[in-house]
Amino acid sequence: MSAVTPRSDPVEDCVSTLAAAVHGPARTKARMVAEVREDLTDAVAERTRAGLTYQRAAAQAVREFGTPDELVVSWQRELTIAQARHTARTVALTVPLVVACWYLVRRAGHDQTWELARTAQMLGVHLSGVSAITALLAAVALAVTGTLARRLPTPDRLPLAVAWGGTVASASMAFATLALALAAALGTDWLLFASAGTLAASSHALVAGSARSCRRCARLPAVGASSAGAR
Amino acid sequence: MRHDAVRGHLDGLLLAVLETGPLHGYAIITAVQQRSGGVLELRTGTIYPALNRLERIGLLRSSWQTTGERRRRCYELTEAGRRTLAGERTAWREFTTAIGSVLNPVAPPGAVT
Repeated sequence: MSAVTPRSDPVEDCVSTLAAAVHGPARTKARMVAEVREDLTDAVAERTRAGLTYQRAAAQAVREFGTPDELVVSWQRELTIAQARHTARTVALTVPLVVACWYLVRRAGHDQTWELARTAQMLGVHLSGVSAITALLAAVALAVTGTLARRLPTPDRLPLAVAWGGTVASASMAFATLALALAAALGTDWLLFASAGTLAASSHALVAGSARSCRRCARLPAVGASSAGAR
Repeated sequence: MRHDAVRGHLDGLLLAVLETGPLHGYAIITAVQQRSGGVLELRTGTIYPALNRLERIGLLRSSWQTTGERRRRCYELTEAGRRTLAGERTAWREFTTAIGSVLNPVAPPGAVT
């Protein structure tokens, strides 16, 4: 048996360097990296069966695979789009919840017993509108990066637009959380407001995390590369 | 043939080798190399984002399959993928015909060379 330590294994070195160089949704990235590891293992096995030592076989397989510098642009482009789709999906699923939360705040204003509810109502109307626009942007982004991409090129700036749309939606959810927390503290129906506030806070956490990752991916150099190179 | 010359045709190549049935990543790479008689030089690492993109736009579907202790992601063509492959073939035939007629012009009868 060859005394190869994981540190000196060219396959592991290649896979871990590439994995460290690209960013995107954890599940998609893990899937692609696992696939590469399996296929490089196959490539090495085929060469060792042909008589090469493990080290030579692994070095040859890694050379054919390409260096991380050669691959990072195409990998990052795909992972950035995957991250944009993830953020868009999260926004599209959570914005209706936050709009429902604002509706609750609006209802709270009907008892007219506290001024905060009126302020929250006005804020809610505007932020619901903004949230609806971000949800629309998310739906468009999902369509454009999905089956429509067979016919239309994906705009280079779409991931950045989705990232900032997600950021705006998460800010709206943070306001909703604050308003619902105050409504819970001051209103009579505190259990309903507290539940809605928890929902808004959870939505905010989900969208904010995804939007932050999307902003990070969209700033990476691969996104600037023309989508013509995607083929 | 250099790998950057292949890049613009990668989608068609991947769809074509999957036409006969599902394959995992390494089998796809091997099939492209074998069919080209070893002429096409692919950076094998470039096929993973390409496969992911083709799946995202609905031309492929994939699933993990377990063989013994190994898990492999297998890809297969969708109906849309078959239609796209047919379109790629037509476009390629038109392209090679056009380029061929420029590179190797047929001399008109009676022309002096």
